[in-house]
Amino acid sequence: MKNFKEISARLEIAKKNIKNIQENNKGSNAASFGKALKISTELVATVVVGTTIGFLLDNWFDTKPLLIICFFFIGVVAGIRNVFRSARKMYEK
Amino acid sequence: MNLNPMHQFEVYKIGPEINLGGLNLSFTNASLFMIISAILITLLLFFGTKKKELIPSKIQLITEMSYTFVAKMINDTAGSSAKSFFPFIFSLFMFVLFCNMIGMLPYSFTVTSHIIVTFALAAIVFIGVTIIGFVKHGIRYLELFIPKGVPIVLLPLIIVIEIISYLSRPVSLSVRLFANMMAGHTMLKVFGGFVISLGLLGGWLPLGFSVALTGLEILVAFLQAYVFAILTCIYLNDALNLHH
Repeated sequence: MKNFKEISARLEIAKKNIKNIQENNKGSNAASFGKALKISTELVATVVVGTTIGFLLDNWFDTKPLLIICFFFIGVVAGIRNVFRSARKMYEK
Repeated sequence: MNLNPMHQFEVYKIGPEINLGGLNLSFTNASLFMIISAILITLLLFFGTKKKELIPSKIQLITEMSYTFVAKMINDTAGSSAKSFFPFIFSLFMFVLFCNMIGMLPYSFTVTSHIIVTFALAAIVFIGVTIIGFVKHGIRYLELFIPKGVPIVLLPLIIVIEIISYLSRPVSLSVRLFANMMAGHTMLKVFGGFVISLGLLGGWLPLGFSVALTGLEILVAFLQAYVFAILTCIYLNDALNLHH
């Protein structure tokens, strides 16, 4: 019976160690590098998509250059919003 | 000696030209390297799971590590309900990783440095996630575009912004991978060209840069595959659980 107790105690310690390692690994360098890349492209992509939509709608409704300007700024706003959202998510974690 | 840094990205056809209904379906070097990476992945997983030993061999260890890595990533970001999408995300991750890594070998071709390849992958993810969202939640999936606690006056503007940010997902996903791979390989080639043109006298400094950049590029190659897979998980999580 003594053996069993010893084994379960050891198991407990081992499990705790694994948990500690996992918690320490959360903020590793490579992951933060990835996050930085993610945010930088998000900002650009929304501007591109917004401008493209504006361009297409302009061609469609024949309202050059009104909608392309509007949608460019909407794209910028969406990009900043995206970056804020990702940053907040990171902060909460 | 061809010193043009963009020369490495040239797509040329291997074998005869195939035209099907106006589509040029010729076998190119890009197709060749995609097939090579697919075959390498299959071989790795086949030999890695062939002999299941308690003390794993190196190849079994690599296979098991890649499995646990992706499984843990899905569990952490998308929750247990996304477990059924493991095969898709695992294939996506391994394919992007192998394409990136094979591109690091001299004389090879980097498939992921072409935006059409990365955009096709991102479009599969985007369309798939949208379909999953609509199947799972029906028309309520559109609630994704209406954040909570927004005054009604601002709603039309917010909805447009949300739609643009939703549509920007495949763009940012594909541009990120493509731009990183292309920029990195161009830099490597530029510094390699400096080594040749400066010769024995001045070529040592760019050679050192080249070595350092190779290390950085291997990190980026892994990281981009990881980011691609993890963002797929995050989008999947949005579609499955519908709240931000």
